[in-house]
Amino acid sequence: MGRDKSRKLSGSRHFRQRVVLSTLTSTPITIEDIRSGGAAPGLRPHEVSLLHLLHKISDHHSLDLNDTGTKLRYKPGVIVGGRDLEHDCGVHRGIGYYLEPLILLGLFARAPISIRLKGITNDTKDPSVDTFRMVTLHMLKQFGVPMEGLELKIESRGAPPLGGGEVFLRVPNINSTLKAANWVDEGMVKKIRGVSFSTRVSPQIENRIIYAARGIFNRFIPDVHIFTDHRSGSAGGRSAGYGVSVVAETTTGCLISADATISYPSVEEMNEESESSELTSPEDLGVQVASMLLEEVAQGGVVDSTHQGLLFILCALSPPDVSKVRVGQLTPYAIETLRNIQDFLDVKFIIKPDPNSNTVTLKCVGAGVKNLARKTL
Amino acid sequence: MAPADGGGEQPHKAHRQHKSGAKARKKSGKGGGGDDAGGERKNPKAFAFQSAAKAKRLQSRSAEIEQRRLHVPVMDRSIGEPPPFVVVVQGPPQVGKSLLIKCLVKHYTKQNLSEVRGPITVVSGKSRRVQFVECPNDINGMIDAAKIADLALLLIDGSYGFEMDTFEFLNIMQVHGFPKVMGVLTHLDKFKDVKKLRKTKQRLKHRFWSEIKEGAKLFYLSGLIHGKYTKRELHNLARFISVIKPIPLSWRMAHPYLLVDRFEDVTPPESVRLNKKCDRKITLYGYLRGCNMKRRTKVHITGAGDFSLSGVTSLADPCPLPSAAKKRGLRDKEKLFYAPMSGLGDLLYDKDAVYININDHLVQFSKTDENDASKKQGKGHDVGISLVKTLQNTRYSLDEKLDQSFINFFGRKPAAQSEDISASQNDQGDANISEQADGNDINNADTLESNEHSYSECSSDSEHENDVTTHLSDHEVDLREKVEFCNGRLRRKAVSANFKDEVDEEGSDDDDSNTENSGDDQLSEGSVSLDDNEEALDSDDETENTSKWKESLLARTLSRRSASLMQLVYGQSSMKLDSTAPEANDNSAEESSDDEFFVPKGQKKQAKNEASSFDDMDAEDYSKFFKAELRDWSDEDLIKSIRDRFVTGNWSKAALRGEEIDENKEDDEEVYGDFEDLETGEVHKSETYENAAGNGGAHKQDDLEVDNDKKKSKREESNGGDYFDKLKEEIELRKQINISELNDLDEDTRVEIEGFRTGSYIRLEVHGVPFELIEHFDPCHPIIVGGIGLGEENTGYMQASLKRHRWHRKVLKTKDPIIVSIGWRRFQTTPVYAIEDRNGRHRMLKYTPEHMHCFAMFWGPLAPPKSGVLAVQHLSNNQVPFRISATGWIQEFNNTARIMKKIKLTGAPCKIFKKTALIKRMFTSDLEVARFEGAAIRTVSGIRGQVKKAAKIEPGDMPKRKGESTEGIARCTFEDRILMSDIVFMRAWVNVEVPTYCNLVTTALQPRGQTWQGMRTTAELRIAHNIPIPHNKDSVYKPIERKVRKFNPIEIPAKLQHLLPFKSKPKDRPKHKNTPVENRVPILMEPSEKKTYAAIQQLRLLKHEKAKKKKMQDERKKKAYEAEKAKTDQLTKKRQRDERRVRYRAEDKQKKRARR
Repeated sequence: MGRDKSRKLSGSRHFRQRVVLSTLTSTPITIEDIRSGGAAPGLRPHEVSLLHLLHKISDHHSLDLNDTGTKLRYKPGVIVGGRDLEHDCGVHRGIGYYLEPLILLGLFARAPISIRLKGITNDTKDPSVDTFRMVTLHMLKQFGVPMEGLELKIESRGAPPLGGGEVFLRVPNINSTLKAANWVDEGMVKKIRGVSFSTRVSPQIENRIIYAARGIFNRFIPDVHIFTDHRSGSAGGRSAGYGVSVVAETTTGCLISADATISYPSVEEMNEESESSELTSPEDLGVQVASMLLEEVAQGGVVDSTHQGLLFILCALSPPDVSKVRVGQLTPYAIETLRNIQDFLDVKFIIKPDPNSNTVTLKCVGAGVKNLARKTL
Repeated sequence: MAPADGGGEQPHKAHRQHKSGAKARKKSGKGGGGDDAGGERKNPKAFAFQSAAKAKRLQSRSAEIEQRRLHVPVMDRSIGEPPPFVVVVQGPPQVGKSLLIKCLVKHYTKQNLSEVRGPITVVSGKSRRVQFVECPNDINGMIDAAKIADLALLLIDGSYGFEMDTFEFLNIMQVHGFPKVMGVLTHLDKFKDVKKLRKTKQRLKHRFWSEIKEGAKLFYLSGLIHGKYTKRELHNLARFISVIKPIPLSWRMAHPYLLVDRFEDVTPPESVRLNKKCDRKITLYGYLRGCNMKRRTKVHITGAGDFSLSGVTSLADPCPLPSAAKKRGLRDKEKLFYAPMSGLGDLLYDKDAVYININDHLVQFSKTDENDASKKQGKGHDVGISLVKTLQNTRYSLDEKLDQSFINFFGRKPAAQSEDISASQNDQGDANISEQADGNDINNADTLESNEHSYSECSSDSEHENDVTTHLSDHEVDLREKVEFCNGRLRRKAVSANFKDEVDEEGSDDDDSNTENSGDDQLSEGSVSLDDNEEALDSDDETENTSKWKESLLARTLSRRSASLMQLVYGQSSMKLDSTAPEANDNSAEESSDDEFFVPKGQKKQAKNEASSFDDMDAEDYSKFFKAELRDWSDEDLIKSIRDRFVTGNWSKAALRGEEIDENKEDDEEVYGDFEDLETGEVHKSETYENAAGNGGAHKQDDLEVDNDKKKSKREESNGGDYFDKLKEEIELRKQINISELNDLDEDTRVEIEGFRTGSYIRLEVHGVPFELIEHFDPCHPIIVGGIGLGEENTGYMQASLKRHRWHRKVLKTKDPIIVSIGWRRFQTTPVYAIEDRNGRHRMLKYTPEHMHCFAMFWGPLAPPKSGVLAVQHLSNNQVPFRISATGWIQEFNNTARIMKKIKLTGAPCKIFKKTALIKRMFTSDLEVARFEGAAIRTVSGIRGQVKKAAKIEPGDMPKRKGESTEGIARCTFEDRILMSDIVFMRAWVNVEVPTYCNLVTTALQPRGQTWQGMRTTAELRIAHNIPIPHNKDSVYKPIERKVRKFNPIEIPAKLQHLLPFKSKPKDRPKHKNTPVENRVPILMEPSEKKTYAAIQQLRLLKHEKAKKKKMQDERKKKAYEAEKAKTDQLTKKRQRDERRVRYRAEDKQKKRARR
């Protein structure tokens, strides 16, 4: 038995996936040269926050970060989960950044996780919590995760610069394995739903967004309902912003989403780059989101581009049966995910493009990852 | 297969039944069953239930029985030919294990086996192979054998009875997954008395049943004839073996494993010569079982340790099943066997070499059966024979070969290997994918002509490899050789960089080569398309496989594009991702100004790679994908383009899109094509899938069931077909999907995707094996190579539920080393036993409890929860009567559950205030006191208190003893004042550390006869070193002597007493004797009174006197009467006695008279 069994990696990219996959496969990793050449070397605050989150839900692991934060040694332990946890995600990245790994880890935990996450709920970089609630959680259904334990409650919203949002997430732990999915039929879009929100701005803005978005959608389908969610007071977080996330549901139950958020930059930022940050108007935002969704629909596939990576990971984690999924064009993130999956789980996908519908069919035999943390009697 | 009847048996006289007489009547009566039974049979309606309650009860009973029979259906993911069925023959020494294997092999193959060493594979039927393994007699071997057995034959010496080995083995199997078990009684010819034999059989059978289950099969082998078991009995036993189905066991289903039936050391001899103890390279061969194995799987070699594989290849099956032609039984040629370790068959196993043994009559120069050919191919190369054979097999003319072949200039020799290995590598055919660099670039770079000459010279030296024809010139021989060599390398080409450029042209190229007409032009092009090379190679050296590639060619051209996309994803990450990374690259790349010099390194990089994040090591981590620009979706054309993706669009067009998609839908139809449920025998038609989700599918299913229900057994039908059937159906469907999805892949990709399939014959190469494994290799001990699952190579704490075996003599002690067998591994560890208290605390137990489970926490390589745990304390055969100490299972990986142990801290007061006291000797430092602030304490007498704070005492407070420090004195409060003589104690819990000790039991790295010695228990060490058990005088129980406490009366000075208020004055003065008042005061009487008083007194005196006289008189009278009475009594008694005597005499006489 070799003493040094940890896997050597370098660079900070795909930090989340590396950490998650390392935890699920219980492979120790050593990440070196984390932004070592940059002006600000080392881990970013959100990455550190993610490690803190990991520390909260797991046990008997060891996290070893050097002084400059450019080298991380991580030896995963058992994911314990637990109730009534709390985590402050900070204001560097949205809550969406933390939700993706958290869902995966929660499935393989000893006890179901219920956690309160504080920070930015809607962000430009990360999928919004609305998208999570409406799409991502439903994706797990395809892999045999019961919907009962899955819940995401948006207690209050927080727009980017200052955040102040709060969500409550519950993830059940699976019994032993997921189920292999055979998910290739994308179907036709039968309805479009969505949520628009505004915090600390006029509630009228939401209606303007919806109006603009409907203008585009109505040419395709009449069944469009976008709900408004105006938050004021403490439920509205600490900074002003508005946004919308829309979901297209197909006849076969696939959910395709797009979201966008606009927020007022904080005072300091405004001073620095006053010209560049011209706020998009609600009308433009509506049009933009609608176009994004149509773009996703045009691409085809059973999930949108945001969820490709998660979909592949779930496929790779499922038992050694053939999982088959269809997605649109592969995103760079998804491709990197595939590589990471091969690296950690030793699962390779067969990627077969379908020239006629311009989609890609992926097949894999899952690694059969089991929930080893769960107690048996 | 048909055994020769009556060969060894003498004909017995047939049994004659009585046709008349009592016995015949009795038999007929039993058969008829009386009139009632007959009536019931004739007219069942008349005997229907009379009471509804009874009917209900019976119905529920039968339903319960039905439900109890059901098991959760398990998915069997193995596809294709199953690996041979492992039959482990186990028994105590001298019971006839080897003989049984020999006889069975003889029965199957008509071959005599001289000795049983290692596993022996035999083709036992048209679709069945059996691998016999003899279980060694030590406990390690038994544990290993139990882990792989599909069927265990437990040999029992009937003349002696059961031995502990059998029970131990049964127990091991129960822990590691219980396979099928059959008992075999031998030595029954030792019984002379038939009745005794029958009784013994009965007794042993029932004992066996109670151990396994009621009705477990116990087979009797009555005796030996000419040193062999009788043929008829063996035939029956073989029948039983052949009908047994293996049980799916969860551990084995989830882990790949090999029973090694061939083992070789391929270390370069030179390095062995230099250093005899250098780490070795070994190759292990065996059938893959359990589940599919991937290349990167780590393996555990039992008794040696964990190793990573440096090469996996699948070989041709050395013992293939006969072709599936319709015929009964096996032909003689198909009765194959394979036992390289035993020296049976064509391979004779030796430690450092392999000898080939081919019977002369088998060496034929006409074309032989395919099976034989494949069997022989790997083994030997006689120039002459191979020459003839290649001639037979040539498909292409010399010119064609010349055209297609090419020359490789800088040939790379593989590392020196034994000839056998290189030969077997050739066998590997398609599956052989070596990781080394491909010779491709070399092909392309150089021209053909210039170096040809020199090359041919240098390689012609290696004559021994020259296995093509001598008709070919030297030059061709070289080609051939190179070709053979390249074959292994070229397979990986699909991944190389060059390939990508040619993706488009290749389709046409393939077509060309398909017609076999490719002319010289292709060669002369310099860059030969890879596939051509490959095919040429294939055709040259693997004549059997020629048709294979043709079949897969079409599939490959179809999957060409996918390969290229896969390449993009899985190829070198340095490649540009042209399809997905948009042109956005360009605009950012252009800015190259002087500023660049003054920008920090990282920022520059960031600026450059805004869009394509592939090369950036520190790219931001977004799952959201930002489109470069959004199109204007109000544009009519754009709208039209996705119109049909909405339900408002054209449904038929959308369906068309679906159809277009459906080159894979076609597969899908294959996917859900017809299949037959092997168990129930029902045939699922393809339409079942289309609405399998809905109820319609179920309905169809039912219809089919109705069709086929004659085939089904009654039990299957009575399942009711609800939940259980649905589960089974789902599993079956899932399996069919898997099969069809995987079957349309070509071999290489399939291996990459799902790994090597179970049932294939696999060669594993392992590097860095300690030389002891080879040094002490013993074929009689099975070597098992087990795959390690995800996360199982890590070590950590495990919590197991453990129960001491009730036959084990001693209880187990915490932290005493025991040898634990979990999964594939056996290791020594030191568990800490514990039990869960009411409040969830894990309290340490010093010894395992009797008759109940307890927790055992230990450190070691992790095994998934639910896997069985077997604990053994001693490995040697003769130390204890029953070696298995405890059994249990893993509950969880628990690193948090702390095991606690009770601790009592005692102290004594050194100063007492009112209800506060300073306690010393409880803590050693002030820090410790601080830790326990607020903790509850108590005195022995029951006064409760609390620790407050660390305190310092002033020097004058206590007479300080020598060496006693003032540190660690605690101020405590109590509910009452305590005494100086009180002992104060605190009850606390202290964490018990589980030792991180784990030592693999490396029995394979030492002589097998030697007992493995790990860490010894304290007791063993004490015995070995003759150290007495430490004896603490204070721990000895002595009779408690309690002095009665004497309290002195409190003396209050009189002065003080005087001053006290009444309340506080001592009131316990001694008591005075009070005489009644009358006594103290004299009574004076009047004269008249005196008179009367005197008179009364006189009267009283008179009365008393009279009474006295009367009493005396009465007494006298009474005495006289008594005397009188005694006299008369005596007389009466005498008279009565006489009377009685007379009467009895008369009666006696009368009786005597009557008797007469």
